[in-house]
Order: sequence, then structure tokens, then C-alpha cells
Amino acid sequence: MSFAGPSQDAVNRGRSMASGGRVSMRGIVKRHGAFTALHGLDLDIEPGEFFALLGPSGSGKTTTLRILAGLEPLSAGRVLLDGEDVTDREPGERDVAMVFQSYALYPHMSVFDNIAFPLRMIATPKDEVERAVRDAAAIVHIDHLLARRPGQLSGGQQQRCALARAIVRKPRLFLLDEPLSNLDAKLRLETRVELRKLQRALGVTAVYVTHDQEEAMTIADRVAVFMEGRIVQIGRPQEIFARPASAIVAGFIGSPPMNLMPAEVHDDKLTVAGIDVPIDRPLGRAGPVTLGVRPAALRIAANGLPARVYLVENLGDTTIVDLDIGGLVIKLRTEQPPSVREGDSVHVTFARDAMHIFERDGGARRIS
Amino acid sequence: MRKAWRLRTLVLVAIAALLLAIWAFPVLWALLTSFKTERDVLAYPPTVIFEPSLRNYRDVLFGSASLLPNLLSSVIIAGASTLLTLLFAIPAAYALARLEFPGKRASGFYVLATQMLPPVGLIIPYYLVLQKIGALDTYAGLIVIYLTFSLPFAIWLMVSYFEDIPREMEEAALLDRAGRLRALWYVILPQARGGIAVTTIFVFLNAWNEFLFAVVLGGNRVRPVTVAMFNFISVEQTQWAKLAAGAMLAMAPVILLGLFAQRHIVKGLTVGAVKGGGRR
Repeated sequence: MSFAGPSQDAVNRGRSMASGGRVSMRGIVKRHGAFTALHGLDLDIEPGEFFALLGPSGSGKTTTLRILAGLEPLSAGRVLLDGEDVTDREPGERDVAMVFQSYALYPHMSVFDNIAFPLRMIATPKDEVERAVRDAAAIVHIDHLLARRPGQLSGGQQQRCALARAIVRKPRLFLLDEPLSNLDAKLRLETRVELRKLQRALGVTAVYVTHDQEEAMTIADRVAVFMEGRIVQIGRPQEIFARPASAIVAGFIGSPPMNLMPAEVHDDKLTVAGIDVPIDRPLGRAGPVTLGVRPAALRIAANGLPARVYLVENLGDTTIVDLDIGGLVIKLRTEQPPSVREGDSVHVTFARDAMHIFERDGGARRIS
Repeated sequence: MRKAWRLRTLVLVAIAALLLAIWAFPVLWALLTSFKTERDVLAYPPTVIFEPSLRNYRDVLFGSASLLPNLLSSVIIAGASTLLTLLFAIPAAYALARLEFPGKRASGFYVLATQMLPPVGLIIPYYLVLQKIGALDTYAGLIVIYLTFSLPFAIWLMVSYFEDIPREMEEAALLDRAGRLRALWYVILPQARGGIAVTTIFVFLNAWNEFLFAVVLGGNRVRPVTVAMFNFISVEQTQWAKLAAGAMLAMAPVILLGLFAQRHIVKGLTVGAVKGGGRR
């Protein structure tokens, strides 16, 4: 499979789609009987943005996407596209295209007919359909497969076919529901890059659902992190990584995610695993908190928190060391091959500015 | 290993041959009989070697008791009830499979429950109703009665086919601006065609082979071939050879349809066995 990114000619012809695509969701509530899937959600997406909805399964991210598409009726709230209220519009009247996790290609139609379908549904002249389909197929490099049936394509080709079917319409909004999850690991990484390039080239707004935090962090301009039917943080990937809004977000982002340790605040110091750690900024409170430290911020040193090496995972370029601190296992990540072995007693330390401090109870919100 | 495999094949073939023989014997016997004279039919021991003649077919087709009008009646009744069944059952099954509406469970059960009544128990009420509205011995009357049992059957059969098609198919079609009706027409129905073919065949065959309702609720003006053949059995004698020729004629469309649709039927009966068929 060629991997040169989208074909420039075809992209230029497709560029005119980059108009509008501003999304506003206001007070979205979704209930299934007694269960509330979304608790009054607000979301704004700028035109041309690549926006990821990130969260574990059941957090409401796919429901949000389906509400945007008009596939899911909502219990309360409004959906606005470019300032227009589309809440009560049918999916086909919203000028949005979607790529499904399963691709949902029509198995009885050729690739050509699949891509042509959305155009034929609005009675597009035949020669125009022909040209648009060939352009869309060229953009995703499947123009040599137009006569095949979806069943005769590989997973990656099917995925491209689904993309082409979305591109061909020049919609104002792309909705992507875990589009890469059915691809193997290598292809997923390649397609991720390509998808990003394609979205930039077309300048279309994209809303992308994923449960893979790494995928969201690498592909998106901004990310909304979903937990249990609520958006717990919205921001650029670096922001979310650097300043997670809560311990829950912190424990979800990063690979491996942030280490979270119970700690106590007394005056100007923090007690964690029986060891006092000085803190450089006043917290304005005392009592139980959760201390978070990124695995990469931990170092093995001559003194610090006493720990026992539990497991050493060598990943080639990096090494993950699992450390047992008073019964709590935390992870240390280092690029240097560590000189420790399983069962060793060591000390770990971290820079003061690498500390994230969260409430212990309630929403586990960030304190500092 | 290879020997065991061969033995297994042999046993399977033998069983299949036995079953085929049991099934095919009466048909073959009737086929032979249809070419015999009445005298040869009654010969004892039965003759296997005889001079075949097409006289029975000539009589049955063009004689005084020609079955042609009855074959036509059968075509009208079975054809019309099949078409009407599909016309109503497809949207009904689709709705039951996909849409959420109040009373969905109850109506689904009701559809199935109608299949639990023994048809014989319904004959008298049906007779009385048709008599009241003057629809006894009419095409319309008989076709409507056939619908009462073919519709629930067809709906029940097709719901499972529709349920087998991923929901995302029509969601994709809806987003592709098809609307519900065109989504059904362009995306769902083509994927359900195996199930529709199976349903069509079953419904048509049931109507074509039906005897009980036809003989009671029809009879004079409306007399399908199954009923008409009964005329060859009278108090004085049974005209076995003509009966056999008539049976062959009545069976021909059924067998042709079966051969033609075999692929669909086999595919249809194994639906769900292989998920998707290359969809992903």
C-alpha cells in the first residue's frame, strides 16, 4: 500500500468543503430509562478542528457522537451546527458524514457504488458522481479497487472505502467512531498519521471518538475527556497531559498513566508512604490528598521513598520498572537501562515540580 | 485415517441414498403411473415395463375434466397471496426488527400466537364469516384467508433476517441522506434478499399445496388444482393414472421453484451460521 499521504490534485478539488463546521452542544442530557448516559454536557468545537472524544467504554463519548449525527434522540439540550439549531433534524439533513467502527459498507454494492451512494441520494448528475467518486477514491488511494465488493477488500482498504464515502460528500463535519480499532497495530499507526494529514488537507472539522488515549493525544487538536457521562476536562493534549483536572483523568492519560498515591498534607509538607516530602507551594489545606507523579518523573536515587523492585519490563528503547511502595505498586519509566533487578531494595525520588496533588474524595479534583 | 474417512463418506452416502429413496419413491411411482393406462395401473403384480403413453396428460390438460383452469386458479391464489404477504410482511417485519414502538413485544407475540392455533379449528368461523360477507367461493375470500396464516409466518421468519443486518447499515444510509424508505429499499432489502426469497418460496408453496381451506371455502368457481384432482377419486372408481398425471402437473412448478431457489434456501436456512458473509 502506498503511503504518500493524500493525493494533492484530488485534495485540491476537495478543498472547497472547508466551510463552516462549528459545533455547539448545550446542556445535552441522555437518559435510558432510569440510567443517565449523559449529564448535561456542553461542548464547543471550532471549524477545522480535529477534536477527540476520549474516555473508557460506557463514558458517553459514542452517545455524544451519535447525538451529533442525529442517530440518537436526546432527552434535553440543543445541538447547533454553525449556529443553526439542528436538534430536531434528521441525520441526512445535517450535512455531516460518519465513519463507523465497523465501516458499515454496503456489502451488496461495489466500492464505486458505496462511495457514490450519498451523492446519488441527492440526485447528483451522473458525470459529476463519476468524477467525485474517482477523486474521493484517489485521495485515499483506492481508485484501483472501485469495481470490487467490500468483502473482497482488506480491513485497511475497507476503512479507506468508508473514508471515501464520507469525503465524497464534502460535508461540514466528519464524525469518526473508533475508525482505527479494527485495524492491526501497525496499520493503525500508519492510518492515524494519514487521517490527520487528510483532515488538515481538506480543512474539515472532525470529531473523533476513541478509548485509546495515545491515539487521542497524538491525533487531536483538542480532546474532551469523558468519564461516566460527563466531560471532565477539555483541552489541548499537552495541557491535559501536563495538568490533568482530576486524579481520574490523570490515571487515564499517559502510558503508563500517572502514579497515584495516597498522601497527607501537614503544613508545608506532604507525607507519602511514611516519608515526608517538602512541597514548594502552599496548598491552603491539610488532610488527606492524592499525590500524582508521572512514571517518567520518577528516578531511582540514593535516598527518597523506600521501594522494592517488583518487575522490570524492558521495552527496548524504554524500561518500565514496577516498584512496591508499602504495598502500592507504582511505575517508573526511564530511557536509560536501569541497573536494578527484581527484588532489589531501592529509593525513588521525584522533582518537586513533578508533583500533582488532587483531592482524595469527591471529584478528586486537582488542588495543585 | 484415510480409510476411516472413506468409510464415513460411504456411510453418509448410504444414509443419504436411503432417505432420498424413501422420499423419491412415491414421486417416481406417481411419475411411472402417470404414463400407464388405467389397466396397467391395476395390474398385479405391478408392471414396471409397459408401453408409456401421454394419454393421461392429454386428458388431464385438454380433456373434458381439464385441469388447466384449476392450475390457473392455483397460480392466481398462490401468486396473489404471496405478493400480498410480502407487501405487508416486509414492512411489518422490518418495523418489528428495528423500530421501537409501544406494544412491540405484545404484537410480536401476537403474530407468533396465531401460528399456534390448529387451522382446522378456524375453518368453521372462517366459513361463517365469508358466508356473511358473501365471499365464499371467491378468489378474494380465499386469498384473504390464506393471508391470515401466511402473514404471521412470513413476518416471524423475516424478522430474524432483518435483525441479522447490522443496525449501522441503515444508520449509514440515513446519514447518507437516504431517509428511512430509501434506506430500506437500497440498503436493507438487498441484504435481506436471501430471507425474502426463502419466505416467498415457503409462502407460495404453502398456498399452492393448500387443500383443506380451498375445498371448504372454495369449491365451485374457485377450485385450485389440489381440489380439482380430487375429482379423479369418485365413489365408483379412482382414476389412478389421471390422478398421477394431475399430481405431476401440480408438482412441476413446485419442483422447478425448488430447484431454482435451492441456493437461496440453503443460504437462508444457514443464516447467522456465518456472520456477515465478508462484511468486515
